[in-house]
Amino acid sequence: MSRHLILDNPAVRRAGLLLTGMAVVVLAIMPIFVVERGQEGFVTNSLLFSFTQMFMMIAMASSWNLTGGFTGYVDFGHAVWFGIGAYGTGVFMTKVGLSFPVATAGGVVVAVLAALLIGSATLRLRGPYFSIAMLATFVAMREIIRIAKPLTDGGEGMTLPPYLNRPLFFYVTLILAVLVVTMTWWLRRTQFGSTLIAIREDEVGADMRGIDTTLHKITVFAISAAITGLVGGLWAYQNTFIDPDIVFVERRTLDIIIATILGGLGTVAGPVIGSVAFYWLRDLMWSHFLHYHLIVTGVLLITLVMWVPEGIVGSLSDRSGATPLGRLLHRDRGARPTTSPADDSDSDDTRGGES
Amino acid sequence: MNGSALLEGRGVLKRFGGLCAVDKVDFQVNEGEIVGLIGPNGSGKTTLFNCITGVHEVDGGEILFKGEDITDDQPYQIARRGLARTFQVIRVYRDLTVEENLLLSRQWGEVPTIRSFTRADRSLHDKAAEIADFLLLGHHLYDKAGILSGGQRRLLELGMTLMPDPDLILLDEATSGINPTLIETIKDRIREMNGRGLTLMLVEHDIRFISDLCDRVIVLNYGKKMADGTPDEIKSDEAVLEAYFGDDGGSDDA
Amino acid sequence: MNQLLQALINGVMLGGFYAIMVLGFSIIWGVMGVINLAHGEIVMMGAYGAWILQENLGMDPIFSVVIIFPVMMVFGYVVQRVLINRVIERPHMIALLVTFGLSIVISNVVKLRYSGTPRSVEGSMRGYWDLGSVTVPKTKTAILVAALIVMFVLHLFLKHSRLGKSIRAASQNREAARIVGIEIGRVYAITFAIAIGLTALAGAMIAPTQAVYPFMGGPLTLRAFTITALSGLGSIPGALFGGLAVGVIEVMLATFVPRVGTNVGIVSSFVLLVIVLVVRPQGLFGGLKPRSPQ
Repeated sequence: MSRHLILDNPAVRRAGLLLTGMAVVVLAIMPIFVVERGQEGFVTNSLLFSFTQMFMMIAMASSWNLTGGFTGYVDFGHAVWFGIGAYGTGVFMTKVGLSFPVATAGGVVVAVLAALLIGSATLRLRGPYFSIAMLATFVAMREIIRIAKPLTDGGEGMTLPPYLNRPLFFYVTLILAVLVVTMTWWLRRTQFGSTLIAIREDEVGADMRGIDTTLHKITVFAISAAITGLVGGLWAYQNTFIDPDIVFVERRTLDIIIATILGGLGTVAGPVIGSVAFYWLRDLMWSHFLHYHLIVTGVLLITLVMWVPEGIVGSLSDRSGATPLGRLLHRDRGARPTTSPADDSDSDDTRGGES
Repeated sequence: MNGSALLEGRGVLKRFGGLCAVDKVDFQVNEGEIVGLIGPNGSGKTTLFNCITGVHEVDGGEILFKGEDITDDQPYQIARRGLARTFQVIRVYRDLTVEENLLLSRQWGEVPTIRSFTRADRSLHDKAAEIADFLLLGHHLYDKAGILSGGQRRLLELGMTLMPDPDLILLDEATSGINPTLIETIKDRIREMNGRGLTLMLVEHDIRFISDLCDRVIVLNYGKKMADGTPDEIKSDEAVLEAYFGDDGGSDDA
Repeated sequence: MNQLLQALINGVMLGGFYAIMVLGFSIIWGVMGVINLAHGEIVMMGAYGAWILQENLGMDPIFSVVIIFPVMMVFGYVVQRVLINRVIERPHMIALLVTFGLSIVISNVVKLRYSGTPRSVEGSMRGYWDLGSVTVPKTKTAILVAALIVMFVLHLFLKHSRLGKSIRAASQNREAARIVGIEIGRVYAITFAIAIGLTALAGAMIAPTQAVYPFMGGPLTLRAFTITALSGLGSIPGALFGGLAVGVIEVMLATFVPRVGTNVGIVSSFVLLVIVLVVRPQGLFGGLKPRSPQ
């Protein structure tokens, strides 16, 4: 029954890994050849900037994939951690006067604490209830930031000490992306990783096999929030200005989700391949059809989800651990979340999700 | 053969709406026994299993395991006490390999420590391989469970219950949808496991399977316990025959 | 005291809008188990419909619903046949992502065609009834009354018409409905069409009370979700009381909690939502039962 597709071939996988390694090396030496504005040359500062954004997308998509792809909790408000990380960094730098690294670490801590708090409520919910509760969290957080004016300067936004060093951000985000992807690769192979898959496939079953599912869900949620919070902090410093409307953008979550699904939900390589493809596709759309780009994005999402739910990696391989969206939350049509009015007598899910 | 009570239920009650699915049932499973739980469809067998393993919160009564009250425990806590089970509808993880499936079911030994972020110990891998061999799955150790046949998945589920060295295993219809050869294999393995001192409780439709294996049989009907005795005693119990075979003349289909 | 009474009146008025706005969302979720994340965009389309008809034909929003309702029903029917029908039997997440994509497409197409500028629609009923210490806005009263009428008609339709009975049957047990000869696909398509028509109708009616712009939909979808989760899927009285409750709570908070203004609305909706989901998942009113586990 097992299909043999191109990515199932170990030689192809090794070649892919080798190519990725070479690409990282090429990227790592690229900033050496950077040229100043107006000069001739391929490696411009704006190219470095583009890559920086792409690395951030890879890191965020990979971290979203931990909850959305591995664990099966599709988070529609993931950019909330980006926002908290950005604001945490901003507040610690401007109001407390900490240096950037310390402030960012502080931002990450705030994001993790918020994730523990919010996750302990929202992770009790399943399927679409969780997704929408997270979307609501995201929207609410934007308003909370706006309201908490003494701390965040509200809608006026705050300006961070400017620090323009494109190569530095380039390297930091490159290293971050490599580390995050390596970590997800490792995680997938650990017992923790297989537990996440087990929760996605059958949470109640995992529970009955002695696994404290709540603890696992909250842990992975916090890891995911930490990574995205860190990206948010870096972004804030790079951008030097933050306000609720440029930090808390729904599109950021959307981009991450599309990139991950495009590449292959629940695979390690998926978010990477998807981010690279989607980032440059979006870049292309921006430069050629600025006004249509969101429409194209929406159509892309619909097309992907309806007709290619396995994504690139999933369509080319059978052994990748890809989650065809069709199977994500496979209990679905039967078991609604704990919250379901339909939970009747013989549903095994009546008690799932409780802590 | 029969030791002290390992699992004990006192007046276990579970209602769904107005219906009493399990109606004040008392039962006992002693150490070293194989106990069968039978009854017509809808008589509350699986519901009772779900009450024991914490899937359902009971509406009354108490359940003791190794003398401790587990009535209000969460499912994972009950599993960690050494009570493992299989499921009527097979619950193996199709996207995980056979080995990962096996390892998973004893991971709680190491979670939540930092060690869950590493790969399992060599000894655990060896144990998983040993159990896979025992259940004729050795050659599939690194294949995804999704490619296994229904019968092989039943065996894998059995293996998953063995991984954490439980004291008691509840098997929910271990033979449904399985070909006769594999049923004999499963029977063999159950006997062997019991020979090593493991206690088992089985929900089964296959009466022959039950009478071959069990030391004692509990019969449920409409959520009430109607008989409790050796397979021979049960077979000659008029009320049981009436309830169980009454309207369809002895067929033992599911 | 007057301030409290006034806030209560305003809350009830806002609630009337929420009640009529949420109906379509609640029906789609209750009958076919699809959470329509493009719901707010349908409201927005209805509001734009009212604006377009007024600009071009000088039509009053109250009368333009006569055109908007059937047109949007056709739109809903097509969307259901092309997209939604293919995802109903698949996991929830698919439908969620597809309607999410749809919401982006709709809002951006509208923005492309009509720009992002907020538009205003003039209703024929303007001004207030001055009741001494408090005032009652006329337009919003009309919306409240219309909401009640629409709900009553819908109730009669679901309860007594053949099609209405089929819809209820389909929502309770798809397989059984199929066995007794109900053509589920057609029932779903018609249900979706009606729900979309109703939603756009709500959009047209509220157009005079608020700015009409392409991205007005997002918060409305969230509120629709909150109210539906609060009141039970597909329940008409639930939609009414849930809408009123959320409306009153939002206005009360905006009036009496200092410094936060209207922003607090969405936050309070969220807090309410999480509390309801965790504490009383089945909603406060019964309503249509979604398909049960197989």
